[in-house]
Amino acid sequence: MFIRSVGSDNRLNAFREEVRQFCREKIPAEIRRKQEKSQHLDKAEYDAWLKLLGEKGWLTGKWPKEYGGLGWEPEQFLVFEEELGKAGAPPLINFGINLAGPVIFTFGNDEQKKKYLADIAKNNTWWCQGYSEPGAGSDLASLKSRAVRDGDHYVVNGQKTWTSWAHWADMIFVLVRTDATVKKQAGISFLLIDMNTPGITVRPIIGITRHHHLNEVFFDNVRVPVENRIGEENQGWTYAKFLLANERLHSLSFAKFEAYLAKIRKALDVVKDGGRPLSEDPTYRRKLAELDVRMATAKALMADQLAAARTTGSPPMMGAAALKLRGTELQQSILQMGLEVLGRNGPVYQDLALEQNWDGEFVGPDVSAGLIYEHLYRRAATIYSGSNEVQRNIIAKGALGL
Amino acid sequence: MTSFSADERQLLDESLQNFLSEKYGFERWQQRSGPSGDQYGSNEWRQFADLGWLGVAIPEEFGGTGGGLTELAIVMAAAGRHMVLEGLLGTVVLGAGAIELAGTQAQKGDLLPKIAAGELRLAFCHSEQDAGYARDYVTTIARPVDGGYALEGRKAFTLGAQAADLLVVSARVGAADGPVGLFLVPRETDGVSLNIAPALDARLGAEVRLSARVPGSTLLGRADVDRTASIDHLIDRAAIAVCAEACGAMAEATQNTIEYLKVREQFGQPLAKFQVLQHRLVDMSLACEEARAIVHAALEALDVGAASAQRTVWQAKVQTAQSARFVGTQSLQLHGGIGMTDELKAGHLYKRLCVCEAMFGDADWYLKKLSQTLPEHIRARTQDDRMKPPEVA
Repeated sequence: MFIRSVGSDNRLNAFREEVRQFCREKIPAEIRRKQEKSQHLDKAEYDAWLKLLGEKGWLTGKWPKEYGGLGWEPEQFLVFEEELGKAGAPPLINFGINLAGPVIFTFGNDEQKKKYLADIAKNNTWWCQGYSEPGAGSDLASLKSRAVRDGDHYVVNGQKTWTSWAHWADMIFVLVRTDATVKKQAGISFLLIDMNTPGITVRPIIGITRHHHLNEVFFDNVRVPVENRIGEENQGWTYAKFLLANERLHSLSFAKFEAYLAKIRKALDVVKDGGRPLSEDPTYRRKLAELDVRMATAKALMADQLAAARTTGSPPMMGAAALKLRGTELQQSILQMGLEVLGRNGPVYQDLALEQNWDGEFVGPDVSAGLIYEHLYRRAATIYSGSNEVQRNIIAKGALGL
Repeated sequence: MTSFSADERQLLDESLQNFLSEKYGFERWQQRSGPSGDQYGSNEWRQFADLGWLGVAIPEEFGGTGGGLTELAIVMAAAGRHMVLEGLLGTVVLGAGAIELAGTQAQKGDLLPKIAAGELRLAFCHSEQDAGYARDYVTTIARPVDGGYALEGRKAFTLGAQAADLLVVSARVGAADGPVGLFLVPRETDGVSLNIAPALDARLGAEVRLSARVPGSTLLGRADVDRTASIDHLIDRAAIAVCAEACGAMAEATQNTIEYLKVREQFGQPLAKFQVLQHRLVDMSLACEEARAIVHAALEALDVGAASAQRTVWQAKVQTAQSARFVGTQSLQLHGGIGMTDELKAGHLYKRLCVCEAMFGDADWYLKKLSQTLPEHIRARTQDDRMKPPEVA
């Protein structure tokens, strides 16, 4: 206990300043304005910003240099993400840069690397994730979408669900069953599929936020070249787990949490009780202090995990899962406080205010629609990337030996 | 700053774990921990000194090895894991710390080498009955008299005071509004009386009543310097040392619980096979990790003198208190009936954690302090801002 240093690295200060300046100068004014109002961005707006990051090489800064990355240490990526968050930049879209890309450069062949990686790095292609199915949620390995070999193609049939941004995506990576006669984990393959292939249908799922970013994706006799398979046939579960570990690591963004707190603070000033702003109420000050402690603890856990990774080369499983669990619980607690504060206001949810060109008048604080949207959306945080109950199973088995 | 490398810290930790698990076993602990037991074993204390633990944070020029608070925390974590009875906190964290912060060069040269050598044991008698956790509440008075001071006052229960050679006593010098000074009062002084009592976790301590005359040389440093800020800093250091102790105790409690559930069978299988209990064990382990991580952050902040150090210490005390309570209570719960017996370690660890949670301020107290001093990024806007009408988009 307390043996290895967990101190922060001051060598990144120059880089931090560079990102800050870049954000100040390059975030388009219209995007900045919409971000401040928590309004949804359209695909062109995301693209405009992500391409700028792609030109700097920052989109894939964490990738190894040989695959077009900058070879950043985890700390450098955290600084990058933190500064983007503070500057009000649009969020990074994970699916290509953090999920598909690392699977391709780790397990893909040379042709696949050549074909896909550069377009991910430059944000020329959008990816989406074909993992969950109506019958395969926490028990992902029970998935039923199947791929049957027909010459130099697979014929894919089945359904994926909860697919974020499928309606904007150029490519999807999917887990399919290629052998139904063996143990469920042993008969899965990992395919890359062009979303324009005939037989693919995307249907929107409207979330409890009343917004559309999730979809169902149907595959009806979709012909996929065998060369689009990652690694070996029936070895897909190995690649799938590698990807899930990366996904979990990216579930925690302190900049986002601080942005929520800034909005809540604003609400505390304008929402009143007995004529006095809630910001003067000791109950709410104590709630802020409690969240502050939990944030400090989560940050310390992150530093601890990075220090361990410096020594051992990889983060300890306990730490990664701990961050997923506590990070998402903290996120929901912050947003719960937001809802409690706004409760005195109705609670009104003007979701249309988050669409562009809305010209209505806010009832109550202008931060309320964005906060309630995030509150509703992030109820999923303890469900996605492997539910928190599944995380506990993973720790129980892997770290505690139960 | 600390001069220890990671390898040296590793060696320190190994020496602690080896000695304490081999020579400081639970059976012997049970014999020694009673009210008439030899809680401050002079033999043990000598060995602590020989192993270099007592001088770990004392500067090399005074006979120590020049470590920092992080090294003290490694010692305290091991002490918590093995429920060490001797007053490490009072001697090496608070006692030596007070001498270093407030003592003259001569006092340091005289006393610190004796602490490192195991020849001097101290207890920090600062808190008073009506102070609660407040750090600046001192009513004990030291009136200057011929060649010394007349000390009058009463100090709250202090662990290890019954066995200390010197009591570090805070008192207002001259008058009720005088500067707070720190006095090194020999326990055997006439007019110093102790009401010895066991703490919740069976360690002994005492309330101290003072109506005594002491020589001027007992005052640490100069008479006209107010030590309130030094005491505040010392208590921050002590609070984080207690957090480290709790981290050790809760790691031990969690480990013991996991091992017990792997062997205890009910309904025809080990309890560790039940998912509801597995998830509880995971949450206990997470609580340990969380406390350890933020305590580590606070230790490094103090060791480098970061501006944010005090706030981080307070946050760490809150988190550690919450983790300790969860781990302690759940360890008892998961042990079931057997955990309620005096013969098992679980109950003793639980009681140790209760003491750690309370010492130098509990979660509620620090949350109140933190909520009164919220940092810029989460504080409400200033009064001027608030005068503006709410923004309407």
